[in-house]
Amino acid sequence: MSEKVKVIEKAEIPSGLKIILGLPDVGLVGVIAASHIISKLKLEEVAYFRSNLLPPVIMLEKGLPRSPIRVFGNKEILVLNSEIAIPSASIHDIIEGIINWVGEKKVEIVYTLGGLPIPNRHEIEKPRIFGAASNEELLKILDEKEIKAIGRGFLVGPQALILSLCAERGIPAVTLLAECFYNYPDPEASSIVIQALNRMIDMKIDVSELIEKGEEVRLAMRDMMRRTQAELARMKKSHEYDIPGYYIR
Amino acid sequence: MRRRKSIFDIMREHMEELEELAEEMMDQLIERPSWDVRTHSLEPLCDVSVAPDRVIVTADLPKVDPRSIRVSGVADDLIEITAKMRVKINFEDFGVTHRRGEFSCFSCRVPLPVPVDTSRAKARFRKGILEIILPRKRGYEIKVE
Repeated sequence: MSEKVKVIEKAEIPSGLKIILGLPDVGLVGVIAASHIISKLKLEEVAYFRSNLLPPVIMLEKGLPRSPIRVFGNKEILVLNSEIAIPSASIHDIIEGIINWVGEKKVEIVYTLGGLPIPNRHEIEKPRIFGAASNEELLKILDEKEIKAIGRGFLVGPQALILSLCAERGIPAVTLLAECFYNYPDPEASSIVIQALNRMIDMKIDVSELIEKGEEVRLAMRDMMRRTQAELARMKKSHEYDIPGYYIR
Repeated sequence: MRRRKSIFDIMREHMEELEELAEEMMDQLIERPSWDVRTHSLEPLCDVSVAPDRVIVTADLPKVDPRSIRVSGVADDLIEITAKMRVKINFEDFGVTHRRGEFSCFSCRVPLPVPVDTSRAKARFRKGILEIILPRKRGYEIKVE
């Protein structure tokens, strides 16, 4: 395991579980979705990450210190969530540390949740969902579930690193991305991503509360969005808007 | 042998310096609270984008009463946005018990990168997002021969 990133397991974590990743990115779509899933499934903290590459920040909960990057779970599923923006300078090592641990745990499949920024998001009633996967068999499953794969285009940030590392190491991974605001927390996009995940793994996570409490979520996520936006700019996230160069079919 | 710097090297160095400066400014913006207990106000998330003919400013305004939104031009490159919330919010609503204060509005001043004609600006509020479209100042027309 990478020396730079340590994982401390608080409970026994069996191998072969599914894992959902919610890392800070555009619209905080993945983070909001992961938090909602953790709360709906009443998951307990089972592990946490420690790394010198993160800023010296802890979360205080009822007076006790907690790591900002934690894994919650039950006997079937694990959900990783980050409560701070990940510094762009350490994103490679942090993601590699996460995927190293995911590999050690021999997870069945990785679902990584996020957003696809669109400039006119506020004019769109219902965001569309897109996917990408680490292998062709998973692309077929996406197709069966009527989730359109992104044919060609750039992916920047946590999603890009997760998908490429998983593909390289033969870890099955699916990225689910809903159209979203670039720099405003987007609980509606999170609900679309959860609905797609429900189809993929036969879950029934209710999203009505996420929609009803959308304004509360947007208020609460303001500061995390500000910090995430600054890191995204450093990662040149706007590269995702670029049209890939000319190619011959 | 030392190669003379080409114009591209010089341009790249300048761009890098500019980028570093922009990053520093961004960090300074973040290193202060996004709320002000004295004025009971929260700073909204804002975005500015510049098109050839106009500047588009958006702001995320959750829990706001749409009728209370006020946008004013302070200068030709600075606008002010204020809006009252439908309900008062305090730190405990976010689970924070060690700070005191109550918030009832959003308020911010948005500097624009280019001058605009605020008298011809238009604004609308949709899905909790305020969008302000400000036409850019017209220059002198240059005749093409």
